[in-house]
Amino acid sequence: MIRRVFLIAAVLVALAALAFWALKPGGFHRQTGVSLTPTPAPTPTPAPEARIMLLFPGTDGMLHPELHTVPLPAELNQRVRAIVSQLLAGPATQLLPAAPYPAQLLGVFIDGRNNAYVDLSGPPEPLTGSFSELMLTYSIVDSVLLNCQELNGVQLLFDDHEVQTLTGHLDLSRPLPLNKSFIATP
Amino acid sequence: MGSTPTASTMSFFMRNTTRFLSLCIILLCAVLPAQAQLGGAITFSFAGHAAQVPRFGSRIELLPVLQLIGAQAGYSQAAGTYVIQLADHQIQITPQVKFALVDGELEKTNDAPVASPGGLAVSESYLDRVVLSPLGYHLEQSGTGYRIAPGAMVAPVVNVRAAAADFGSTTTLVLTLSRHVEATVTSGTGHQLLVHFTNARPQLDGSLPMRSRRIEAIQAAGQTLKIELAPGQGLLASHQLTGPARVIVEVGRRPPTPTPAPVALTKPSHRPTIVIDPGHGGTDSGAVASSGLEEKTVSLAVAKRLAAILEHDGYVVRLTRNGDEGRALTDRTALANRLGAIAFVSLHANASTVSSVRGAETYYMSLHDATDAHAAETARKENAAGAPARHGSELDLILWDMAQARVLNRSALLALDIQRQLNSFLNLPDRGVKQAPFVVLTGATMPAVLVEMGFLSNPAEAAQLADPGYRQRLAQALARGIEGFLRSSS
Repeated sequence: MIRRVFLIAAVLVALAALAFWALKPGGFHRQTGVSLTPTPAPTPTPAPEARIMLLFPGTDGMLHPELHTVPLPAELNQRVRAIVSQLLAGPATQLLPAAPYPAQLLGVFIDGRNNAYVDLSGPPEPLTGSFSELMLTYSIVDSVLLNCQELNGVQLLFDDHEVQTLTGHLDLSRPLPLNKSFIATP
Repeated sequence: MGSTPTASTMSFFMRNTTRFLSLCIILLCAVLPAQAQLGGAITFSFAGHAAQVPRFGSRIELLPVLQLIGAQAGYSQAAGTYVIQLADHQIQITPQVKFALVDGELEKTNDAPVASPGGLAVSESYLDRVVLSPLGYHLEQSGTGYRIAPGAMVAPVVNVRAAAADFGSTTTLVLTLSRHVEATVTSGTGHQLLVHFTNARPQLDGSLPMRSRRIEAIQAAGQTLKIELAPGQGLLASHQLTGPARVIVEVGRRPPTPTPAPVALTKPSHRPTIVIDPGHGGTDSGAVASSGLEEKTVSLAVAKRLAAILEHDGYVVRLTRNGDEGRALTDRTALANRLGAIAFVSLHANASTVSSVRGAETYYMSLHDATDAHAAETARKENAAGAPARHGSELDLILWDMAQARVLNRSALLALDIQRQLNSFLNLPDRGVKQAPFVVLTGATMPAVLVEMGFLSNPAEAAQLADPGYRQRLAQALARGIEGFLRSSS
């Protein structure tokens, strides 16, 4: 009798586990007979490597170029991600980091006017002074636009939000075009 | 033992209540987590079909709703983005992100979708506003569920970029739309114009300052743009153009003209006015030195000294703030515009995470960033597209464009004169003159510059900026630069 009860309990537990498995995340992708067309599993084809020019701030208030070789996807959104990620990883020389805090890239969007929106994590403490604001902004804006010439402008977002300004100086409420006045001449 | 297995089991359970309850608890523990995640289901109906759509917390699984209306949805693993398509509409949404790309336009959302067992879950308002509305549907409560009905409940957004150009006695306002939308222009109450968009919510671009003397403000309210005109101004004409989609509004003085007494902002003076803007103020302290010295204090102290020197030399000087009070950045330039100032100088002190950084630098707007360049371009396209050219002849546009370029060129000269004096008079390392779109310089109709007088993050420079003698020398250098520029330009 006890053996039978355990058998029934085991069957019930197995059925519960089956139900749980069927409802767990990812269930949608296994649905059949629907009109949705989920993208097939990504094929991990590494992007070809390319040399990109990144601009890092110097103490002279200018942006100085560094050449980096990185995997650079052909797709524009992914290319912008690759460039900004490499920029945020920091300079290879004695130049200053692009962001004066450990900024994370939260996302990249490209709109119908070929403007890129780079969404960064915001500074943990409010930044002050135009120096930090200008260097952070134009190291990203100019690095992206120099390497993605099909783009017209870059707007920075912070923590998923548009901001008018970061330290009360620069107008960050719209996409910015390339600004060569901050790029140091060799 | 002649009983059936079921009866035998029931009999066993009846006899062993404790064991039965324990078994039930074990089974509930296995099943409950999944149930808690789903939070039940809700019925959605559309065109005679119905679907049970699982809930995920307070949100709804999105993909079954899309199936119901026949929308296609794909997921890009690489971009982490869902792409929804129906007819010629495309919406891109990303979990945890409060932005959606709706038909190529970036739209801010009030909340973010979340990853869920079914792929993606959204709030009911998100489903209605961000997903269904652009696809031409809306949600209606139906019993305990929802009915998806045709017609956007919340009109989809149309982005509007406004540019105005004053020509003689009239102003042409060009509203460039992100897509074609029917619009009607009517006179509202008082000096107000209303531009109503059919089934579209205008979202102002806001990147262009309104430099028109006749248009004081533009704001969006629902499906309408409210345009506040200067007293005595009214609607002369309006029409729509395509390629790109635009609404053209002609504004001017309409007879009979009500004549409100003009308000004198200042006593009439034949002496030229210079506006000095002490940066920051109030709760906005700006940069702070390790000694506790605040940027707002330095900028105000130097501004007062500079004003005294310039007034002594025969100029009328107005400060944008006289004490420790906050001022909106745009109000500061607006004051200079209203006063018809001949120069606008915004004073600041800088900061860097690297304490060795020192020196002064001067900025002015670049032509590419000066948003009037866009206004000029828009007006030029307007003319080329065959719009009525009675006010906007090509010559007018060229002259207007040249006037904008001249203001920037003169700003550059003012910046160079100031920077030169700072470098030589105070023996500072030359950090040069640069161009950038500073908010406080946007919209200035006179030579306008922003001066970073030194770095408060540099202990030596912070000590200098705290010293009254150094502040006086700094003010003298600035005055020399400003007066040198004004002498050469006159």
